[in-house]
Amino acid sequence: MAAVRTSSEIGFNRVAIVAVLVVTIIFLAPIYWIASTAFKPRNLATTIPPTVVFQPEISPFVKLFTKRSQLRSPPTPEEYAAAPWWERVVFDGGEKIVRDGKGQVQWSGYPSRFLNSLIIAITSTVLAVGMGTFTAYGFSRFKVKGEADLLFFILSTRMLPPVVVAIPMFLMYRAVGLNDSHIGLIILYTAFNLSFSVWLMKGFMDEIPKEYEEAALVDGYTRMEAFFKIVLPEAATGIAATAVFCFITAWNEYAFALIMTNRRAQTAPPFIPSQVGSGLPDWTVIAAGTFLFLLPVAIFTFLLRNHLLRGMSFGAIRK
Amino acid sequence: MTQIELRGVQKFFGAVQVIKDLNLKISDNEFIVLLGQSGCGKTTTLRAIAGLETIDEGDILIDGKPIQHLKAADRDIAMVFQSFSLYPHMSVYENIAFPLRATRKSKTEIDSEVRSVAKTLQITELLDRKPSALSGGDMQRVAIGRALVRRPKAMLMDEPIGALDAKLREEMRAEIKRLHIKQGSTTIYVTHDQIEAMSLADRIVIMHEGVLQQVGSPDEVYSRPANLFVAQFVGSPVMNVADAAVAETASSASVTVGGAAAGFEFPRALLSKLNGHAGSQLALGIRPEGVLIRHDAAEGFLPVETQIVEPLGSFDIVDLKVGSKMLRARTKSGFVGGPGEKVFARIDPAQAHFFDTASGKSLEVRL
Repeated sequence: MAAVRTSSEIGFNRVAIVAVLVVTIIFLAPIYWIASTAFKPRNLATTIPPTVVFQPEISPFVKLFTKRSQLRSPPTPEEYAAAPWWERVVFDGGEKIVRDGKGQVQWSGYPSRFLNSLIIAITSTVLAVGMGTFTAYGFSRFKVKGEADLLFFILSTRMLPPVVVAIPMFLMYRAVGLNDSHIGLIILYTAFNLSFSVWLMKGFMDEIPKEYEEAALVDGYTRMEAFFKIVLPEAATGIAATAVFCFITAWNEYAFALIMTNRRAQTAPPFIPSQVGSGLPDWTVIAAGTFLFLLPVAIFTFLLRNHLLRGMSFGAIRK
Repeated sequence: MTQIELRGVQKFFGAVQVIKDLNLKISDNEFIVLLGQSGCGKTTTLRAIAGLETIDEGDILIDGKPIQHLKAADRDIAMVFQSFSLYPHMSVYENIAFPLRATRKSKTEIDSEVRSVAKTLQITELLDRKPSALSGGDMQRVAIGRALVRRPKAMLMDEPIGALDAKLREEMRAEIKRLHIKQGSTTIYVTHDQIEAMSLADRIVIMHEGVLQQVGSPDEVYSRPANLFVAQFVGSPVMNVADAAVAETASSASVTVGGAAAGFEFPRALLSKLNGHAGSQLALGIRPEGVLIRHDAAEGFLPVETQIVEPLGSFDIVDLKVGSKMLRARTKSGFVGGPGEKVFARIDPAQAHFFDTASGKSLEVRL
């Protein structure tokens, strides 16, 4: 590092810092908007100009997770006093929580949709990254006849917008009974991500020197053992980076989830906007749903951030 | 007891034959160095013995048993790679223990063996470190430790010190030799550096374009090269080689080099020894130390002019113009003042080699 910096370098640094701040603000603004709306009282969600300072509320989240109906008459003071705090915030909004005959709270569709999203995104990511890793290893280490053609063929599945095939896929899925099923979406997302996973992992595999495995082979291990004991730990960075991208793609997918599912296997993305449907839209509930929906990706990316950063610069920098 | 034998080994990479009918016997505890330029097939030969390459023809035998169909893991051979190939995600301890773990030994056994190898190689204090925190020399020691710990039937080393800097290379060379003397395992070592080969080997195997050129002790390959390739590959500075014409004079034989006006004087015995090869094109090979020079005229010495003087510290290399040819001579440092000086030179017949230019083979003429 140069100990002395010229004034032009200092100037450039300042400009760079400002640029980074501006870009960060641009990227974070929608997230701030969603997060703040998720905690706003309903009447402040759509004010013009926007309300920036407000007393945060938890009611949008309560509403998100429960089935509600409009109050025809306000609750009696006894009813209000007997209700738990989270029911009172619903009463305050002029609604009541729907209960079944035994008095059990009726859950909204959101928790099951969220769970569907988790199951489908995680399973398809594991499958796509797992198969991608094995395939990439094969392409990287063995002489495969027509390797270039096969790799091109694998990539060609990404050469048109997926939604183009949505209708034929829907018809096929309906014919074989895969529509509105977890397994159907898992297969679909795995297929989407597989080509990407193979290509990305091939790059990472090519970077791992062959000598490591050869050393393990001479050290008395089989190729399979060498793969699991040496190659996989070395490929961890690549696997993490690939997994983040595959997970985000599967987690955020909207079009196919909208077309292929309607209830049992519906994921969160098509469900959240469907809540706008009846009556006056409650944007705070939609914002709460979106806010929670962002969290898994944020947590997953945060946990793998070191791998991800290294993964991005992999191949450019020699260890 | 580990003997390794290669019998008629052939290897092709596509249409290119990289090993051509290789036959070699390596005895127990022997330190063999495969020497040759890059692409000569030496590393492929080593990898074939290790089980990392298949062979297309022939047999590889260890203690008389063919092993070419065995997997690398089942051959009980250890290998040290040029890149060291230490597993980056494991500590030094884990790296050394790794081959032992494949043998399902008990934890305490593994621990004591790892520590004893670490002690031998003086790397005990490095056991907890990751390979990335080691210097080149220490990485090398760990790589050797990993190879030694299993007490394999044979050790294979593929340019193990090629990646180190010159000073460290010299140190490690001595260390490898010391270790071999102490541990005494059959070792095959690949290098393109003839100094390494000379200093380490019991026998050197010189390869060129997949063909074995000569097998012999360092002294043998240096002083009795089997052909022109070996003659010029072994030894630094390289041997002078020049087309030569042999003629009979009144009392002796005369060898003319580079179409010079006069020839170098050789004993008459040369003529009878060359008999039978009189018709062939001859090449004279003489190492720089076999070209003797002096400042004043003497019998048998030809007047020559110096061209370039390369001072190399302990000695100088002087280029002498003989006819159209340049002969390099080794002199005491500072013996020749500079270029353009008139000196007198002769060739030491005892150090001269004669080769058949067409086949490149040595005519085995010793005077």
